[in-house]
Amino acid sequence: MLGKLLKYEFKATGRTFLPMYALLIAFALLNKIFITINADYLRIPQVIAMVGFVVIIAGISVMTLIVTIQRFNKNLLTDEGYLSFTLPVKTHTHIDCKMIVSAVWCLASFIMSAISIFILALDQSTLYKTRRFFEDIGSTLNQLGPGAYLIILECILFVAVALLASITNIYAAITVGNLSSKHKLLAGLGAYFGFGMVQQIVVSILMTVFFSGFDNYMEYLTTAGAWEQMRAVQLGLLVMLLYTAVFGAIFYFLTEWLLRKKLNLE
Amino acid sequence: MENILECRNLVKFYPNCLALNTVNLAVPKGRIIGLLGPNGSGKTTIIKLANGLITPSSGQILINGMEPGVETKKIVSYLPERTYLNDWMTVNNMIDFFSDFYENFNRHKAYDMLQRLGVNPTQRLKTMSKGTKEKVQLILVMSREAELYLLDEPIGGVDPAARDYILDTIISNYSENATIIISTHLIADVEKVLDEVIFINQGSIVLTSTVDDIREKENKSVDALFREVFRC
Repeated sequence: MLGKLLKYEFKATGRTFLPMYALLIAFALLNKIFITINADYLRIPQVIAMVGFVVIIAGISVMTLIVTIQRFNKNLLTDEGYLSFTLPVKTHTHIDCKMIVSAVWCLASFIMSAISIFILALDQSTLYKTRRFFEDIGSTLNQLGPGAYLIILECILFVAVALLASITNIYAAITVGNLSSKHKLLAGLGAYFGFGMVQQIVVSILMTVFFSGFDNYMEYLTTAGAWEQMRAVQLGLLVMLLYTAVFGAIFYFLTEWLLRKKLNLE
Repeated sequence: MENILECRNLVKFYPNCLALNTVNLAVPKGRIIGLLGPNGSGKTTIIKLANGLITPSSGQILINGMEPGVETKKIVSYLPERTYLNDWMTVNNMIDFFSDFYENFNRHKAYDMLQRLGVNPTQRLKTMSKGTKEKVQLILVMSREAELYLLDEPIGGVDPAARDYILDTIISNYSENATIIISTHLIADVEKVLDEVIFINQGSIVLTSTVDDIREKENKSVDALFREVFRC
C-alpha cells in the first residue's frame, strides 16, 4: 500500500515541483547565455534574468517547506482526509508516505539549485577547481584513514535524520494544532514553538549535567593527538545523531498516535 | 443473524455539545436502511464514527464485529456529505485511484454509470458543477462491491431526474449480502427503496421499525410518520 500511496503523492506534488525545476534550469541557461555574450546593450535584460533566477531559487526553498505543510494538512486533515482515512491503509503508512515524499523533494530542490548554480559558474577554471576540490578531499581522507570515512558516514546519516526529524516535527505540530477546534493554525504554531522550547530545555539540562566533564574534555583535546581528536569528532557526531533521532522518533510516534486515537475530522 | 453494524452505549461529545447520547443499535446484514432525522440529529456523527474519521468519547462502534480499521475500511463504501475528491484529477484518474486501493472496485460498472449519467471521464473535477461532482462521487462509491454502504445525503445536491436513476442504481447494485444505510431528510424520495428506518433525534434513537410495519400498523407513509414524530 505504501507504494501506491507514494505513486499518488509524487503525482500530486510533482505538478508543483517539476515545472519550477524546469523554470529554474531555463533561467540558469538564460543567465549563462547573457554572461557569455556579456554585451552592454543586453545589461537590462541580464539584470532582470538574474533577479528572476534568485527569486526562483528562493521560491523553490520556500515552496518545499509550504508543500510539506500543505500536503499533510490538506490531504489528511481537511475534506480530502475523508478519502485518505477511508482507504484501507494503516495510519503510519500515510505518515511514512508524506515524510518520504517531502524528504525526496527537499533533496531534489537542493540538488537542482546546486546544478543551476553550477551551470551559471561553469567554465574552464570552475571545472578544474571542482575537480581539485574533490581530489583534495580524497587525499585528506586517505591520510586520515578509515576513521575519517566514519565521520563522513555520520555526517550523511545526521543530515538524513535531521531532515526526517524536522519533517516529523512539523507534522506533530500540525496534528497537535488540529486538536483545537477553533484556532488550528495558532495552536499549530504554538505547538511548533513549544516543541522547540522543550528541546532547548532538554539541551540545557544535558549541558548542565555533563558540563564540567565536557569542559575538561575540550581542554584535554587541544593538546591531544590527531587520533584522539578524530575520536572526539566521531563521538560528538554520534551524540548529535542520537539526540536528533530520539526527538524525530518522539514526533513521529506522537503524530501516529494522535491520528489513530484522537482523529476528529470536521 | 450477524450484525454488520453495531453501536454499544455509543457517546460522542463535541466541544459544548453532546452529539450522540448512549446510542445502542444493531443493523443486520442484507437490508436497505434509512437513517432519518432532522438537521443536527447525529446522523452524520454515527456515519463518521463508523468510518473512523472521528473517535467515540465512550462506548463502541463495530463493523462486522470489528472496530473501525484497515479491515473494516476494505468492506465499507462511504459517501460523505461533502466532496473529498482531489480537484486536479480527472474522473479517469479517480477511477484508477479507486481500483488501486479497493480490491472490490468494479471499473466496468463505474464507466457504465458515468455514461448513463452523461459524465465525461476525461473532465477535470475542478471544472465540474457541484451536482456533477456529487454524481461522480456516488458512482465511485456504488461501483465498489462492498458489504456495507454508508451514504450520507446521497441525493441532496442532484436534480430530481438524476435522483431516480441514482436510487435505481443503488437498488440494482446491491447484492443479497450487502447492507445500505442512507442518511437523509428527503424521505419521500427514498421511502420506496427502504426496508427499515431508524429515526434519530438530538443524539438518541427514537424509533426503529420496518417500513412494512409502519405502513400496516400506523397506516401511514414513512414521510407522514416522520412529520408527526418530529413536528416542530
